[in-house]
Amino acid sequence: MAETGIGPASRPLVEAVGLTRVYGEGETATVAVDGATFAIAEGEFLALIGQSGSGKSTLLNMLGLLDTPTAGSLRYQGDGVSGLPKAERAQLRNQLIGFVFQFHHLLPEFTVLENVLMPALVAGARPAEVRDRAIETLELLGIVGLEDKNANQLSGGQKQRVAIARALLNRPAIVLADEPTGNLDTTNTEAVYDLFRTINRELGTAFLIVTHDRSVAQRTDRIIEIRDGKIIGDVRNEYLTGGS
Amino acid sequence: MLPLKIALRFLKTSPVQSALIAAGISVGIATQVFVGSLITSLQASLVEQTIGSTPHVTIQAQEEGEPVRIDDRVWRVVREDARIEPGAAVAVRVTNALASDGEQSATLLLKGGDLDGLDAIYRLRERAVSGTPRLRSDDIVIGTALAKKFSLAPGDPLALSLPDGSRRTLRVAAIVDLGSEAANERQAFVNAGLPRSVLRWRADEFTALEVQLLEPFDSAAVAEDWRRRLRETSVVEWQGQNADLLTALQSQSSSSYMIQAFVLVAVALGIASTLAISAVQKTRQIGILKAMGMGDRQASRIFLWQAAVLGLAGTAGGVGLGFLLLWGFSFAPVQFSISPEPTFIALSASIGITVSMASSIIPARRTSRVDPIEVIQGG
Repeated sequence: MAETGIGPASRPLVEAVGLTRVYGEGETATVAVDGATFAIAEGEFLALIGQSGSGKSTLLNMLGLLDTPTAGSLRYQGDGVSGLPKAERAQLRNQLIGFVFQFHHLLPEFTVLENVLMPALVAGARPAEVRDRAIETLELLGIVGLEDKNANQLSGGQKQRVAIARALLNRPAIVLADEPTGNLDTTNTEAVYDLFRTINRELGTAFLIVTHDRSVAQRTDRIIEIRDGKIIGDVRNEYLTGGS
Repeated sequence: MLPLKIALRFLKTSPVQSALIAAGISVGIATQVFVGSLITSLQASLVEQTIGSTPHVTIQAQEEGEPVRIDDRVWRVVREDARIEPGAAVAVRVTNALASDGEQSATLLLKGGDLDGLDAIYRLRERAVSGTPRLRSDDIVIGTALAKKFSLAPGDPLALSLPDGSRRTLRVAAIVDLGSEAANERQAFVNAGLPRSVLRWRADEFTALEVQLLEPFDSAAVAEDWRRRLRETSVVEWQGQNADLLTALQSQSSSSYMIQAFVLVAVALGIASTLAISAVQKTRQIGILKAMGMGDRQASRIFLWQAAVLGLAGTAGGVGLGFLLLWGFSFAPVQFSISPEPTFIALSASIGITVSMASSIIPARRTSRVDPIEVIQGG
């Protein structure tokens, strides 16, 4: 299990220094992310914004240990992770990071409960050991009672909640959410953001929400803006923090 | 055990696909079990018919018609060889005789020897149709064809003209079925003293020493050993005298192995292609599992387990189907029965499972190449 809760202020959860990702070589080389440097504190709630093709997904993939930077360094809780072998990155991903995608990406062969349990089972836990935590997570997301339904029998909003419950099961230090409400209507979008906030408050999980929608980003505590692979803005959201 | 759990769920959610592939394996293994057992039993039956009640190795004189000396040294060589069937060694003297009842006549080959030794090779007691095989000085054991020709029953006299010009009347002790028409008509067994008196040989002079082996196909090696140790004799063995039969058996075995090998290749290709399709169908699921931290090896094991489960189910079904075919074959009007050998069935089953497992290599390698990023961004 990952360490959760707010860590010491002196040690950030994520430290990216000169993070760069280049695709291809020579004349055809494309720089998707160019020297991104920033830190994310434990329990922080921030947004990463940028237009399509700005490099935000590539940056997210590197932060999610799905992709490796071609240059620069990435640290999680003080430990360098960019050079780790594939298997160790997979293990860290399982312990530290929860993913929420635009598409729910539930496994259609499994029930809601099994989908939610999956990250713990991947880590080697037995279902009985983590069942209570899974139910607790479903309660937190207000979808208790759907455990035995097949993922295909749910509405879009329910599916996304199940996907969030799955991302939270291992109590990750950070949830990386890539356009998590892109496929949801206004009501469900509101509900999902409220949930993220609640979880952030109650579990101390950090959230990095990737979006191209400024109005969505306005509701987070900090906004990092990326354009053409470069970070062009990193601001505290005074409006929100001041207003609440 | 997560890969197994996922494998089972994948199989369960595509029941038709799973059933078809398991059925394919079953048909392959059933063919293997049936063809293999059929050929093995057919060959065993042919070998049994050919040599089941004849000597496997014979020690005789180098010159035809001359006696061979069977002294203690020869007996020691034979009896000390662990490959001979215990008790199935008999020194025999053979002479011709003409049987006649006044109306018709028949040439007989009289084989004289110890009853127990002759019985161990020719199974006279087991093959007796009527009477009790005995070889006292005036007893004769004859074949069924001769008995029919002369209308003889146990206890009846049979007059014989012998090569030395003498005439003897023997009493039929038993009538035996020696397994072939020619033998039943010509072969007869008598007391060892009768041919000796005709041939006027010494007590240690015989036509041949006949031996059966525990394992008939050891005959060439046994004969080779004995030739080295008994240089003054001629040692012949059944394989040397039945080269055509052996060639036929070998050709039959080769074609049987070919059929079995091609069936297995077809099964392997079937499993590999179905699993490969399954791996493509499940690319999204594998990508999602990898995104949440499943390693390449764990992901590959999903398809290894699928192959193992399909292989086990298909093989079990195949062995069952194979036995069903063998049972069906037992009603066919043939001269032999198929007795499936447990070791062969076990071998077929393990080959089936191994082939299934090996077939999962391609899909398993494919899963290693699945990039979660592509899956996630592809929607």
